[in-house]
Amino acid sequence: MSYLSSTSVVVDAILTKKGRELLARNDGSFQITQFSLSDDEIDYTLYNPNHPSGSAFYGEAIENMPVLQAFPDDTEIMKYKLITLPRGTAKLPVLDIGYNNISLRQGASLSITPQTLNYLGATSTYEQSGYVVTIGDVRTMSNVTGVGINTPEVTSLNATTTIGTNVSKTVIGTTINLTATTVNTLFGTNSALQTTLIVVGRDSGARISVPVTIIKTNQ
Amino acid sequence: MSFTKLDPTDFVVSSDSVTAPAWSTNAPTLTSFYTLSGNATGSYYVDVYQTASTDSAAAVQFSIAYGHIYGSGSAPLNSLVPQNTPSRITYGQYRNLIYGDAESAVNFGTGNTSSLDLIAIPIDRNRYKGNLFPGTFNLILKNGSDSLRLTDNSNDVSTVTYLDCGRAFDIISGSNGTAASLTVTPQGNPTKGYTNSGSYGLFLPDVGLIVLNPKALGAPVLSGGLNVTWSTLTTVNGLNNAKMFSLISGSGASSAGFTLNSQETISSDYVFVRIKNGEYNYTSNPSFISGSGNLVYSNFINSPQTYMTTVGMYNNNNELLAVAKLSKPLVKDFTKEALVRVKLDW
Repeated sequence: MSYLSSTSVVVDAILTKKGRELLARNDGSFQITQFSLSDDEIDYTLYNPNHPSGSAFYGEAIENMPVLQAFPDDTEIMKYKLITLPRGTAKLPVLDIGYNNISLRQGASLSITPQTLNYLGATSTYEQSGYVVTIGDVRTMSNVTGVGINTPEVTSLNATTTIGTNVSKTVIGTTINLTATTVNTLFGTNSALQTTLIVVGRDSGARISVPVTIIKTNQ
Repeated sequence: MSFTKLDPTDFVVSSDSVTAPAWSTNAPTLTSFYTLSGNATGSYYVDVYQTASTDSAAAVQFSIAYGHIYGSGSAPLNSLVPQNTPSRITYGQYRNLIYGDAESAVNFGTGNTSSLDLIAIPIDRNRYKGNLFPGTFNLILKNGSDSLRLTDNSNDVSTVTYLDCGRAFDIISGSNGTAASLTVTPQGNPTKGYTNSGSYGLFLPDVGLIVLNPKALGAPVLSGGLNVTWSTLTTVNGLNNAKMFSLISGSGASSAGFTLNSQETISSDYVFVRIKNGEYNYTSNPSFISGSGNLVYSNFINSPQTYMTTVGMYNNNNELLAVAKLSKPLVKDFTKEALVRVKLDW
């Protein structure tokens, strides 16, 4: 006989930048309704199915790694989500937005229609619930809109604006329209602005992150 | 699917009281007392530090302010309006704070139900988060060879008195919230812990304020006081703030000093994250798959293993509001379930 391990793990949470922004907005948007899990930091190449000590030790290197503390940038954490799929799945969904990187001139527009590969038995499909698209620095875009999903929550989210600071902006849709900023002052002495576009499938959980460059053209 | 809706039963709100020493030294008792160089006699108030004010760690711990209903004890702001003195302004300020009007008498109980003066000791706002913690207040005052140990009567009363400023406890002679059993009964035979001039003051934890009764402190030693004479000068600063400071600072030498704890109620939101055996056994981690989406290890097809490190809390719009990290990766497969309790403090 020995002692049972404790039944739950207790962890302290911190607010993200987005969480603080929504809390300050005080419009009811700061309401936790769902959770997700991620394995940021885990390198599965450390998993060793040939471990000489047997299967109980395949994950030894991963299980003993120390984990970093949380950081509040919501675009840099929860990057790789754990997903629920049927047992026997051999190929995981991946996103294709048609670009490995995006480069826009000031004022130029781009429309993105993501597709999900290897999902629900289809080689390529458009997810029914759409895609969550986050632009890392909202100042770099004069317009970020999501179209194609018309539930009240999504409509409300897509209509939300935040002014002035380098916070992220998240929209939902099946197609995402981007227009690069025309404001010169953001560039300072630089000839280009950099940010990141993150696209996550709402049904599959698949994620892709692409760098975005805004090129200064106005003098 | 990479999100799980939380059920209302997954949320528990818990409020816990947290207490800690009030002083910036984090020690329960303050034994060293300093004033700002050149400001030890402040006409309105004197700030008291835990170390020399030139020290980079110096921080205001509390202040001392003498107030008089008619303005005695300090010089007028303008000689053309002699009644307007810092002590009168102080008296009106604290009377208004304690009783909520300008008509109420400052009442220290039988023997001084309408006090003409008071000594306010407001605790610096940075020293307490919620309120002062009744029962932890212990203040030694020393005048020459005579000393007095004061506390609040929170452990002696069964019914809490409320004033306009919240809870009010009498300050009595004793320790740790209980009146002392004196070996010598004060003259006039007052209630245990009190004087014939009423209580020694009021302990007002909700506004971080201690108000002392100058009349009780000025009573003869045999009557429970310290025989302090308070200045009633009306043309110059009577230095009553400095006199009170010397009573407090003299206590440090007797290794007693000023003991006080603060109290804070922290409301925590607990979210129970329940992960079933069939959930979250695959991952979008790029090291888990090849570029085309194939699993990197064939045994992951039927026995996948993932290692969760992070729990994200989202709103309905899939916006990440809060995030929690586990101390080590938690393995998850089709044979394991997990329960993670996420704590959010407000």
